[in-house]
Amino acid sequence: MSAPIITIIDYGMGNTWSVMSAFKYLGAKVKLVSDPEEISRSSVLILPGVGSFKSGMESLRCSNIDESIIDAVTNKGAKILGICLGMQLLGSHSTEGGKTDGLGLLSNQVERFTSIETDGLKVPHVGFNSLHFSEKKGLFEGLPDLADFYFTHSYRMLVDDIHGRYATCKYGVEFLSAYEVDNICGTQFHPEKSQTNGLVMLKNFAKL
Amino acid sequence: MHKKRIIFTLLYDDGFFMLSRNFRLQKVGDLQWLKKNYNFSHIAFSIDELIILDVTRGERNEDKFYDCVKSLSEECFIPIAAGGGIRTLEQARKLLFFGADKVVLNYLVIKNPDIVSEIAKEFGQQSIVASVDVKITGQEFTTWIDNGGVKCEQNLPKILNNIESLPIGELYLNSIDRDGTGNGFQIELLDCVPNLFPIPVILAGGAGKYMHFSEALKDARVDAVATAHLFNFIGDGLEENRNKLINENFDLVKWNVNLVTNLRKCL
Repeated sequence: MSAPIITIIDYGMGNTWSVMSAFKYLGAKVKLVSDPEEISRSSVLILPGVGSFKSGMESLRCSNIDESIIDAVTNKGAKILGICLGMQLLGSHSTEGGKTDGLGLLSNQVERFTSIETDGLKVPHVGFNSLHFSEKKGLFEGLPDLADFYFTHSYRMLVDDIHGRYATCKYGVEFLSAYEVDNICGTQFHPEKSQTNGLVMLKNFAKL
Repeated sequence: MHKKRIIFTLLYDDGFFMLSRNFRLQKVGDLQWLKKNYNFSHIAFSIDELIILDVTRGERNEDKFYDCVKSLSEECFIPIAAGGGIRTLEQARKLLFFGADKVVLNYLVIKNPDIVSEIAKEFGQQSIVASVDVKITGQEFTTWIDNGGVKCEQNLPKILNNIESLPIGELYLNSIDRDGTGNGFQIELLDCVPNLFPIPVILAGGAGKYMHFSEALKDARVDAVATAHLFNFIGDGLEENRNKLINENFDLVKWNVNLVTNLRKCL
């Protein structure tokens, strides 16, 4: 049986080229898809994203992609990986651009780094930073302790009530930097810009 | 806290990669040649970031440069900054669409800051690297645009002042005097950087050997070092330098280059 095609969701918000290139390098078959029906039929989904939470949700809603993602993941058991903004959109809501509801696949919420938390550190948080893993299995298999990944963001997901596997990162304050909760995965960082560490994680996701 | 970074800068001129010495260019080879003879994709696994600059001296073929960025980004899984000759928001947008994460701006920072603000508004401050080319003329740190061809009215301290108030994510400080000489970075340039300068500083121009990297990276004012010298650090050069720096406890990310062959087409 051949490996399933990886569907990269195209909703006009993100650097899909680099994500596609990384999966191609790993030898995966990838497809860029914007048709909601095709998305709800897919078994492996990637939700990339660069930009603000509010405009991200608006784009997903306008095109009905929001419902097709929820249908694929909750009703049909598709696995999904949200990257950067995509990871945040899978959560319950964000305070970016006024309180905005997310896709709600995960109950965690998204807030801006506060100046007290990041005392003297620059926001956005841009650059390579190290992860702390809850366990090195599944999405995190084969990665070294404190593996570095490339971040660029001003809002972050809170760690509260996370069940499943997860990784945190510290930038003034500890925040949720990656998770694997059943068939729902997300990374705040860009695995496609994080050398072999990122490629290992994308490979892990494809094999989950 | 963030680790320090080692950056490789590729200089592009109308389809070819160049070796530069004091901004005079010498043709090295095209993209295929670079990938084949210099095993560039392997080199890319031992650096933290790639900068691709279109320094074409004659007439620019922009589409050809976009294709080059696109092709390089297919096999380089690190942040990529690209620039050279950017005058409009539309040009920046295209580079960011074809795999670049940041754009490198030189002319606009000095001559048209409004467009810098427009780009920042659309893509964020973190997506802009201001590149400043400097030459020491007598006692003065003079700055240059158009590939070092035209001298600016403002000197380096003045330009750095302006940069502080612009929506810019990083500074790429390049020495024309040291460019391609292999004689070491021009550390004096850092004396012009104000205290508590709000953005990371990348020092470029002059790296020839390990000692130059270690000298610059030791300096608290330096966040990253860049080299554009294709010959000095070719083959395993960059990887060896990096390992040596890590062994000396420099705060660099440890990339697991050995995994590369296992990952290609593993699915």
